[in-house]
Amino acid sequence: MTVDTTDPVEKPVEQSRRRRFVIPERFFTFQSYVALILVFLAAIIFSPRRNGEIVFLNSENLLNIVRAVSEIGILAIGMTFVILIAGIDLSVGAILGLAATGTASLLMVNDFGVAMTVLIILAIGMAFGATQGYLSARLGIQAFIVTLAGLQVARGLARIWSGGQGIALAYGDGPDVAPQAFSLLNSRTFNGTVPIPALIFAGVGVIALIVVRKTVFARHVYAIGGNERAARLSGIPVTRIKVTVFAISGLLAALAGIIHAGQLNQGSPNDGMGYELDAIAAVVIGGTSLMGGVGTVSGTLAGALLLGILNNILALNNIDSNVQLLIKGVIIVAAAGIQAFRSQQK
Amino acid sequence: MSRTIRALTALCGTAALFAVAACGTESDVPESAGGSAQPDEGTECAGADGEYLIGMSQANVAEPYRQQMDDDIEAAAAEVDQFEVVFADAAQDNAKQVADVENFLTQGIDLLIISPNEAAPLTAVVERAYNEGIPVIVLDRKIEGDSYTQFIGADNTEIGRAAGEYVATELLPDGGSVVELKGLPGSTPAQERADGFRAGIAANPNIEIIAEGVGDWLREKGQSQFEAILQAQQAIDVVYAHNDPMAEGAYLAAQAASRQSEMSFIGIDALPIPSGGIKAVEEGRLSATFVYPTGGKEAIATAEEILVQCAEVDKEQILETELITVENAAEIYARNATQ
Repeated sequence: MTVDTTDPVEKPVEQSRRRRFVIPERFFTFQSYVALILVFLAAIIFSPRRNGEIVFLNSENLLNIVRAVSEIGILAIGMTFVILIAGIDLSVGAILGLAATGTASLLMVNDFGVAMTVLIILAIGMAFGATQGYLSARLGIQAFIVTLAGLQVARGLARIWSGGQGIALAYGDGPDVAPQAFSLLNSRTFNGTVPIPALIFAGVGVIALIVVRKTVFARHVYAIGGNERAARLSGIPVTRIKVTVFAISGLLAALAGIIHAGQLNQGSPNDGMGYELDAIAAVVIGGTSLMGGVGTVSGTLAGALLLGILNNILALNNIDSNVQLLIKGVIIVAAAGIQAFRSQQK
Repeated sequence: MSRTIRALTALCGTAALFAVAACGTESDVPESAGGSAQPDEGTECAGADGEYLIGMSQANVAEPYRQQMDDDIEAAAAEVDQFEVVFADAAQDNAKQVADVENFLTQGIDLLIISPNEAAPLTAVVERAYNEGIPVIVLDRKIEGDSYTQFIGADNTEIGRAAGEYVATELLPDGGSVVELKGLPGSTPAQERADGFRAGIAANPNIEIIAEGVGDWLREKGQSQFEAILQAQQAIDVVYAHNDPMAEGAYLAAQAASRQSEMSFIGIDALPIPSGGIKAVEEGRLSATFVYPTGGKEAIATAEEILVQCAEVDKEQILETELITVENAAEIYARNATQ
């Protein structure tokens, strides 16, 4: 150990030492998938067994997992785009609550049809997101602040809309009940096996993957996240892209809110509290950098599934709920730690 | 090119989850149904020879009352050799609680105890458990419909009435002015504790509710709301808070204004914990509090009747409240506390 040397000598020593730890870039690319597979395998190993059957691999259990993460997963997809432009959206949980409340209210109180309700709610979510994007991009207010304010506004609107109460959904024909068609969200297809919310999540995921790979919009998103100044100078319509990104996040949050109302037969202004943090966690575990410009939608999908599997296996093993929080915290820090290591290495 | 690979990997990952799920469908379902210890529709009951796994799904253990409920269940279940209880906490999230119950079903529990966060969102999953032949005990808050075995809870309107009558006959027999600190607006207990109280004080027309504050069940909100009320009201005789923490918060506000001796404070809940209402009565901050029983002990007793004694149980069990004053505080604390 010849650390006790003068400055000029120390530097090369440190550098060469660092080089020894160089991890191939490819590892980072697959970081979240590797983690997902590891957690999946760990879940199999630690799964309780009943009559020799691995409980975790029970088909119903696996589908439950996808259903349980579907809302967070959809939020996380929107959040990925926001974080890719080095932004953050703290309002998605509140928009989810607003959308769930609005959905229940339109169906039950206003007697709107399902299609009409869904359209109105999605439009509200998109407009809400777009407004936040505009305030952030045009007035230069940090996204953190704008969406923190948006969180309060959305919760306030939801409370006003419903008079502070949760609105329960009842199904049937006639006034003061919701159309039977909406209960589809609470059902399972393919012989009652695959939950509809899980299918919607998968659908949104596929669309997002295509958008990221095939569109100019996505290239602009990465460019802005990588270097906003350079992007602006090279003629990318930065403001428009930013507004679009926040609009997508708001739209997806509203979609998740509609699903939330359908799954739980209720819309309440308190719905979705803290969901924004779970969504951000999924994005970070998925390998997207909070500094912007680096990350993938596929990583986010893996991150969301990882969180779902983790929740599930901890619950199946009856790990104390307080300890569960600790374990999840450790995993998020580990994922972020790998990210930090990656940027250091560059 | 690597982008394409990534896309494919992600798709495969998602697809794999579905695929593994789909493959399992045929063989697993009947096996897991037949293998569980719960007989179909109560055809036979293993009784005292069985071993039983009980799932307790709690709405939010961050509320001391609900932690106490879990503690009561754990303590009572420890006395029954055949019982093992597993706990889940939904942290006030309906969606999480649905997943919690699903996970219990996956684990093959023999009986479900649930204190639902809210009625409508939890009804479907509780129905599913009940229809699978699993006895369901619903604690404190109801679900919709009647797909449960027994509901155990206290009657908040009755408790409010008891508080009102205590004010009308004991604290202010000659009348006076009352300040009410309410729980979270829109929550049923807040409404019922308000309605019951009004019915209770109706016997004494000289009692007037001069101000109402909304404390959302929280000590700090009770404190700040009552600070403002203290500024506005010169003469206050009784503070009726919908729970003990808000009453304690009001006491702190009055103490800061050196007015705590002018008035009496009463609350509801009477948790047998060091920070609970019984201790506050014993130490003289509150004049009275009313027990809002957790039902934890009763739930395990019902579970024992169902599983061990193979008995039929009533659909509903309403628990009585109890008045705590300085005379009986120490005694009740010793009786109700779980070590």
